[in-house]
Amino acid sequence: MTIPFTVIGGFLGAGKTTLLNRLLRGAEGRRFAVLVNDFGALDIDSRLVAAHGGDTVALANGCLCCTIGDSLVTTLLGLLEQPERFDHIVVEASGVADPGRIADLAVLEPRLSRDGVIVVVDAAEVRARAADRRMGDTIQRQLAAADLLVLNKTDLVDDLPTQRAWLGTQSDGPILEARHADVPLDLLFGLDRHGATAASPPSDGFASWSYTWPEPVDRDVLLAILREVPGEMLRAKGIVRFADAPDRRSVVQLVGRRLEVGDEGPWGDTAESRLVILGLKPVLGSLQRE
Amino acid sequence: MTTTVYSARRIVTMNPNRPFASHVAVRDGRILGAGSLEELKGWGKVELDTRFADKVILPGFVEGHSHAFEGGVWKFPYVGYFDRTTPEGKVAPGLKSIDEVVAALQAHEKTLPKGTSLLAWGFDPIYFGGRRMVVADVDRISTERPVVIIHSNFHVANANTAVLAKAGITRTTNVHGIVKDASGEPTGELQEMAAKYMAYRAAGVEIATALSDEQAVWRFARVAQLAGVTTATDLHNEMHDSTVEGYLKATGSDDFPIRLLPAFAATAIPPAEGVVRLQALVKKNNDKLRFQLVKIVTDGSIQGLSARMRWPGYYDGTPNGVWNVGPDDLDRVLLAYHRAGFQVHIHTNGDEASEVGIEAVERALAAAPRWDHRHTLQHAQMADAGQFRRMKALGICANLFANHLYYWGDIHYAKTLGPERAERMDACATALATGVPFAIHCDAPVTPIGPLFTAWCAVNRLTASGRTLGEAEKIPVADALRAITLGAAYTLKLDEELGSIDVGKRADFAILDDDPLSVPPENLKDIGVWGTVLGGKVFEAPRT
Repeated sequence: MTIPFTVIGGFLGAGKTTLLNRLLRGAEGRRFAVLVNDFGALDIDSRLVAAHGGDTVALANGCLCCTIGDSLVTTLLGLLEQPERFDHIVVEASGVADPGRIADLAVLEPRLSRDGVIVVVDAAEVRARAADRRMGDTIQRQLAAADLLVLNKTDLVDDLPTQRAWLGTQSDGPILEARHADVPLDLLFGLDRHGATAASPPSDGFASWSYTWPEPVDRDVLLAILREVPGEMLRAKGIVRFADAPDRRSVVQLVGRRLEVGDEGPWGDTAESRLVILGLKPVLGSLQRE
Repeated sequence: MTTTVYSARRIVTMNPNRPFASHVAVRDGRILGAGSLEELKGWGKVELDTRFADKVILPGFVEGHSHAFEGGVWKFPYVGYFDRTTPEGKVAPGLKSIDEVVAALQAHEKTLPKGTSLLAWGFDPIYFGGRRMVVADVDRISTERPVVIIHSNFHVANANTAVLAKAGITRTTNVHGIVKDASGEPTGELQEMAAKYMAYRAAGVEIATALSDEQAVWRFARVAQLAGVTTATDLHNEMHDSTVEGYLKATGSDDFPIRLLPAFAATAIPPAEGVVRLQALVKKNNDKLRFQLVKIVTDGSIQGLSARMRWPGYYDGTPNGVWNVGPDDLDRVLLAYHRAGFQVHIHTNGDEASEVGIEAVERALAAAPRWDHRHTLQHAQMADAGQFRRMKALGICANLFANHLYYWGDIHYAKTLGPERAERMDACATALATGVPFAIHCDAPVTPIGPLFTAWCAVNRLTASGRTLGEAEKIPVADALRAITLGAAYTLKLDEELGSIDVGKRADFAILDDDPLSVPPENLKDIGVWGTVLGGKVFEAPRT
């Protein structure tokens, strides 16, 4: 089983650290390994700390936090060499880095699977930054690389629709609004490893739908549905038996604007195809089951 | 307490009060004086040592921008185009074609234990002309064993099928840095992070420590010593405890032939912690090991297409490069170390990066005024007259990458900078005329360590193809020699202690076969180095 790999990008001050703090507090049974640039900015409750050694902090909830130091490549490889297994690896990209390039590591590394590039955007500052002579192209590359955007600090702007519209011209990723990076974690990091448990209890603003099919599924129809409402369907994960490849166990993954279909080997004994979609309600209420 | 007087054909002191001498007196590892034998006998009983009688003595060369991992890569086979001196003083011959590289590695491959990878370095395909190396070439070396051939710039590598297969890299792999041919197949050439990642995967992540362990620093010191260097930097070091212990152990030995200045990689840990760590390390300093420098890398490299440039940017239209440390972080990190009294070396290749570096120093000085900081822009390859004027006004030094003129000058002329900016790149004459204190460097292992060659580059400005890259920026031999001795020492705040042959300074000498001020300037790089003297101890280079 490969480990999902998520990159959190965005300019300095956009809210990446706030987001990571929420993740570490709200991990709930999943062991996240989080690679950050600087511990000091993280707000790790000392009661949660199980062990602290130099450049790593182990939390009581099973999560691990490491500083990246000077080389993400060696830090990541070192992490993968450790005997402990993690359910999900999250990397905080530096404020000037291209998070898409960092996500490429998951493509190069067979032990990882590329999950999503999430870019946190400071609603009040982003336009000015994007127009900056020295940083503008860097910002644009970040936004273009995003699978999913968190438009943060929305309480600090009074022309939110304008900001959203502009952001839509810079990136294809669906936009989630937040004030303090308070976006449901499941939307960002998916459900647990199995991906398709019973529908999660809906929380504010988002819901999940589960589908199962005993018979093989038409590929084109399913992919068309997943592509149809990219703004509202934020994540989807499924183990599917396609009609055109009934012996194969196909994995369908949608993160924001990125849709990928992979092959995980022979179909085996699994009875049904399963798909779980996470999205913003109430839009998904209109989705028909095929 | 012995006083040894060395005689020489000529001693070039770099001391304007007394530029030449016939004899130099050494006591307790320090220079007692330089002049005539009669003058020096005035100090008392001396022992005359005539072994250098037909040699020319200069201050030991100071390499202000090199990396100790030069010593690390020499563990692996060198496959570059140009001959290169090994730490043992032998010549590793240059390989002039893809076939020669393949043949050399086929032979080397047979010596490796089963199940290990083959890593080679220094590969230079730009000089071959013709086609690029492809996976079929590398497969001839081995189809089973992972083979990674790292280019001389250390940002690109060529791999064989075994490496690509292990990583699952195919025509559908959509990752930046995986070069594909016209039909969409990966060629085996990997760039930037893809190259770095595959090299580490092939070699094992422990290679990172092997590249900077105690043995590596010894090899580095030897290569430097063979080139006449007595003081060198290791200009980007995270200073892990194991590295520090290794450096302390090595430099504690009388046989260690250089003075070493590691520079703290400032962005590895938060500045507040870094300042405290560096302050603690400074207490461990000894004669041959000085922790005092700080390093920040702002952008990438021009030939790597990752430098940050001002308008109009790359000559061939390549988009602007990438920030490693952007302007905001540079301000914050620089200010922290500046306030703590440290000297900061800022890597800036493109001119937007050097502009940002200059402004950061200006803001740091406004926030925390300080005299004689000597913060240095490293490389500063595109800095122009206006930027040099600002550097002068702010007390900023420059360490210019003169070796680039030879190794990549043709590419800068044709592709990255265009003729006009290439002709004024690494602007030593402008630095000199403006009065900006400057040094010139090699950035080993990116180019070989050899200050006489670096001086030759600054004097002649010749590219590998023989083009002169800008008459106006050539500097006289005397100034180039100063840049590799006292000038470099100044950028390291060691100018009062070494860099010239002057009373009270360390007895650090470069012993040369010929007089660099007398040979034709185009022959500067060919002068043989007999060896060095470090703190009065003689280190003879093995002769091949």
